[in-house]
Amino acid sequence: MNRKFSRRDFLSAAGAVGGSTAVFRAAMALGLMPAAAHARPQIAALRKPRKVLILGAGISGLTAAYELSRKGYEVQVLEASFRAGGRNMTLRHGDRIDETGYPQVCQFDKDPDLFFNAGPARIPGHHLHLLEYCKELGVELAPFINDNRNAWVQDDAMFGGKPIRAREYLNDTRGFVAEIMAKSLKKDDITAPMTSADWEQLREYLRQFGELDPQFRYLGTSRAGLASHDYTKADVLKQPLSPSELMKSRFMFIMSFGETDDQAAMMMEPVGGMDKIVSGFMAKVGHLVQLESQVQKILVKDRGVEVAYRRNGEYVTAKADYVLNCIPVQLLAGIENNFPSEFATGLTKLPRGKLFKIGLQMKERFWEKEGIYGGISWTLQDIQQIWYPAHGIHRQKGVVLSAYTFNPEAGERFARLSPAERIALAVEQGSKIHPDYGKYVENGVTIAWHQMNHMLGCAAQWDAELSKQWFAKLQRPVGSHYLIGDQVSYHPGWQEGAIASAHHAIADIDARERAGGTVSA
Amino acid sequence: MRARTKIAAVFVAALLTGLASAENKYDYCLLCHGTNANGNYGIRAPKLSGMEPWYLTRQLENFAAGIRGAPEQDFSGHEMRVVGIRLQQEKVLGEAVKFITALESKKPVHTVSGNVKAGKEIYQTCVACHGAKGEGNATLQSPALASRSDWYLATQLRNFKAGLRGADPRDTLGAQMAAIGGTLKDEQAITDVVAYINTL
Repeated sequence: MNRKFSRRDFLSAAGAVGGSTAVFRAAMALGLMPAAAHARPQIAALRKPRKVLILGAGISGLTAAYELSRKGYEVQVLEASFRAGGRNMTLRHGDRIDETGYPQVCQFDKDPDLFFNAGPARIPGHHLHLLEYCKELGVELAPFINDNRNAWVQDDAMFGGKPIRAREYLNDTRGFVAEIMAKSLKKDDITAPMTSADWEQLREYLRQFGELDPQFRYLGTSRAGLASHDYTKADVLKQPLSPSELMKSRFMFIMSFGETDDQAAMMMEPVGGMDKIVSGFMAKVGHLVQLESQVQKILVKDRGVEVAYRRNGEYVTAKADYVLNCIPVQLLAGIENNFPSEFATGLTKLPRGKLFKIGLQMKERFWEKEGIYGGISWTLQDIQQIWYPAHGIHRQKGVVLSAYTFNPEAGERFARLSPAERIALAVEQGSKIHPDYGKYVENGVTIAWHQMNHMLGCAAQWDAELSKQWFAKLQRPVGSHYLIGDQVSYHPGWQEGAIASAHHAIADIDARERAGGTVSA
Repeated sequence: MRARTKIAAVFVAALLTGLASAENKYDYCLLCHGTNANGNYGIRAPKLSGMEPWYLTRQLENFAAGIRGAPEQDFSGHEMRVVGIRLQQEKVLGEAVKFITALESKKPVHTVSGNVKAGKEIYQTCVACHGAKGEGNATLQSPALASRSDWYLATQLRNFKAGLRGADPRDTLGAQMAAIGGTLKDEQAITDVVAYINTL
């Protein structure tokens, strides 16, 4: 079932979901981006009336609408879907899941704690602009548990597929590696000048790293957990797991996930669902947003831009001085346009993200009985992850993320199935981690982002080569037309990237207006 | 087992509730196939406008029945297959075909290049069914080839050759094309013949 995954696959997959952090870092190293966040544009109040059409009411579109409308720009947002938010989507009782081919309706109980963040689900503390908007829009935040050492790690390749606690994998592995290093490393092997004190310090570091005994042996550590938590009795360490079994697993490529730039504590989530950010923006600009309006034509003129869209089966034409466009490039490529051929070609170059998620309503919070409160269990099966909700602790029910794969092939495998079959497969795979998993399942939702209406893709799959060749060309305005969205940021897959793209475009518009308000090409 | 049946029932109920408002229903087609269904290379969705209604109908029925788009390697075919199933379940397949047929067809941009002269020779095999001008033949149920997305023609020839299309025993017309596809000796032959079709 599970294709062999190379280290490179893992890194690129982690890059995809982690928002191409590696690409971002490389750009930083080249001095292309400032180390601190970009400044939020301070848009000057308008001197002449200006109309702005924003195509798409995702996070980038809503950010631009919010910033521009309060400075006097006449803003209209056209959204193809029946809902605003783009991939920021929280599912609750009765919500429609508009997947081409497999539409679904969310059957969760009506309860404020029973929701599922089908798109973005966590916010790191350094996503300053998003956090600033949360504060400004009154979006209440709560801690999000991303890394839980009590959660499980499961891989068919080790221990006959039996799950082990994350703390055991991480710390037994560290212990063995530290012991091997301490025993095999010779002072003479190190070419850098080193005093005896330095050498001792290094050996102490290894001892600390693996929690080795005075003879530099790894005999187990409380970091990997105690055999019993009966505190009327003396502590007994768990027996270290077999290093040869641990080394069989490719989990080593995921084990540092919760330490990366965007995934390390402290992470946050909006209380009650990620789409509280969308409702926050909509409270400010909702009156400017027109839903169910699918763009069919974009003509960049000498002055301004003309857009035609379909609404209720009719074609409507709109003109504006500026267009900010966050339609996913894979869809934009099919919309009639007069873009320069290089720009139009660039639109066809980005592979579609195929990230896939399942959320299941569980009739009992069984994981809490296993000592798991929030966090992620990992498996090398297609479902890849199980997330436990950090909200609603100790209540009766909970919605568990039961699959979240970054691997495009696994995403395709799931997408090919009907929703009921996807859930059955997730239950089958999840049962290797929680043996009675299936008996708790009441209902569920499945999200194949590359089959969702008006999206047909998750985060744009940039790599270093594609970025080099196409990023600047797609980011640069065509006349008064600007492509925005997380797809034209160095942080695709993150709302902060979407905001950055909007800020970049509106700063440019502001500069043009300050320079005299010419909107000619 | 009972839980699974229950979950399945819930999804069927959800499916039947339908989605977009009636007026917007077929905008789904344009989502992938682009403005006026003139095709979107960005998402590998071919031009549909100008296709014969009987050909569209048969293909949608084939997708719905799993005669086309079933093999795992045919990713795009699968994407279309679920749409075919849905159109048939909602009994609107005919309406969708009418919608597509009414759209304004635009000449597609050429993306495939090859040896036109060599392609012309290969094309002689195609003339009997698809016509000397690639105009198609309704009696033989052979669709027109001229003014289609060229990259799509090439993809389909590859699919016929690789057994991803025309291999289902119910697909008798597809089987004829699969046999022809088998005679195309390599990738060069495919691009050559498509390059020639571009001149028709």
